[in-house]
Amino acid sequence: MNAPVYLDYAATTPVDPRVAAVMAQCLTLQGAFGNAGSGHAFGDTAGAVVESARQQVAAAVGALPAEVIFTSGATEANNLSIFGVANYYRSQGQHIVTVRTEHKAVLDPCRELERRGWRVTYLAPRPDGMVDPAQVAAALRADTVLVCVMHVNNEIGVIQDVAAIAAVCARHGAARLHVDAAQSAGKCALDFAAFGCDLMSLSAHKVYGPKGVGALLVSQRRGVRLEALHHGGGQERGLRSGTLPTHQVAGMGAAFRLAQESAGTEGARAALLRQRLWQGLSALGGVLRNGAEANSVPQILNASFADVEGESLLALVWPHIAVSAGAACTSAVREPSYVLRALGRDDRLAESSLRFSLGRFTEERDIDVAVAAVAQAVMRLRKVGGA
Amino acid sequence: MNYNNLTQRYFDGAQAFAGVLTGPGAFRGSAGSRAQGTWIQFDLRVDPGQARTIQAARFLAYACPHTIAAAAWMAEAAVGTSASAAPPESAQGLRERFAIPVEKLGRLLVVEDAWNAAVKACMGSTAG
Repeated sequence: MNAPVYLDYAATTPVDPRVAAVMAQCLTLQGAFGNAGSGHAFGDTAGAVVESARQQVAAAVGALPAEVIFTSGATEANNLSIFGVANYYRSQGQHIVTVRTEHKAVLDPCRELERRGWRVTYLAPRPDGMVDPAQVAAALRADTVLVCVMHVNNEIGVIQDVAAIAAVCARHGAARLHVDAAQSAGKCALDFAAFGCDLMSLSAHKVYGPKGVGALLVSQRRGVRLEALHHGGGQERGLRSGTLPTHQVAGMGAAFRLAQESAGTEGARAALLRQRLWQGLSALGGVLRNGAEANSVPQILNASFADVEGESLLALVWPHIAVSAGAACTSAVREPSYVLRALGRDDRLAESSLRFSLGRFTEERDIDVAVAAVAQAVMRLRKVGGA
Repeated sequence: MNYNNLTQRYFDGAQAFAGVLTGPGAFRGSAGSRAQGTWIQFDLRVDPGQARTIQAARFLAYACPHTIAAAAWMAEAAVGTSASAAPPESAQGLRERFAIPVEKLGRLLVVEDAWNAAVKACMGSTAG
């Protein structure tokens, strides 16, 4: 049997060979292997690589190089942002606004702050996944110090209007806006300055870079301050101590440069592939699209299949295609996606949903394999179920 | 989720035992609900004689692979047995046979309930 077709690029991407080549140059004695904090020539060489990568990331997302704080990934960036703001501004208030469909890397830190006595307002998105900026405005209180809204939702691909939400926060005055943009780079327009947000999390491995590196953008223009979570060395403006992994950082820089260069062509190609996928799937009937098509990145399609049990659907499609399920498995018990439930999908439809995420290496024939595999599985399960 | 070979075999071959039976001698029972995540229906064709021998069995299922496999196995194993006898396998027996996680025992009870409902329909007809 052939290897399954990979359609889970929103989970992670393979490292682009061009990125891998850049990373390899930072590993050995002949390359930039030094500690970027060392004062000698090897350190200078590594430091130059790091600063070049910082410029590449900044240029790709409309930020200043000095606003880029390298982290171990978007999860750490989210934690640094949320706890960093909370710790620094706690004397001004202890209220946070976020959205039910945020990634766990935002929701779990918020829940931890609740355990510490903070108040958190969880906004319910509309059935299409969008958050109305007016909802944010209505949730703001005098003691709100932080608003967390993700840019591109990892499950349904919906793009939030973070610029409008930033304007709401700016009118409030004391509410800083943190945007989790882990899924955004290379998929849609991403402009930190133009959006007007205070903080933004980025990930390298979602954009053909390596795992284990990401960044938090901290706006200098807006003067946002954070309390560091790690101490010991004072790297990254004192916000993220620890020796910088030069090869990871260089890989992230290269990945973001490539993403910036190819975003237009890749987006157009992905849109055609997704259209082909949706046409094939929707022909089955009883297929419901999750999330607003008009406000979504072209690489992600999430659909629920009526009259099909979720685990059985996965058992039949996973030998052929690697896609994400609408339910998380913990031992034998499946928990329906909280994102889809927040959109109003019932448990059964949430469980029978699949997220197809397309990428740089997806081809038309991969889409055709996916459509055939899902069609066969759905028809078979509907027959067994008498639907 | 990992499935043992027997589960995989009966899940893959479930269509052979899926369907409905109608007409004289056919009896139906079901249990569970789609809304709750597991629904099973058994149709049994039973000879009209005293032995009440099951001549054919079919099932329909909205269920996980373990449960579908168990229902398919029941439909196959029942043929030739008497409807008045015990089910081909208990829920616990199915769990052991298919190496099904204990957390899914409730779903196997739905299989057992559906089987018993079909048998009850059959035996009720006899009594009548």
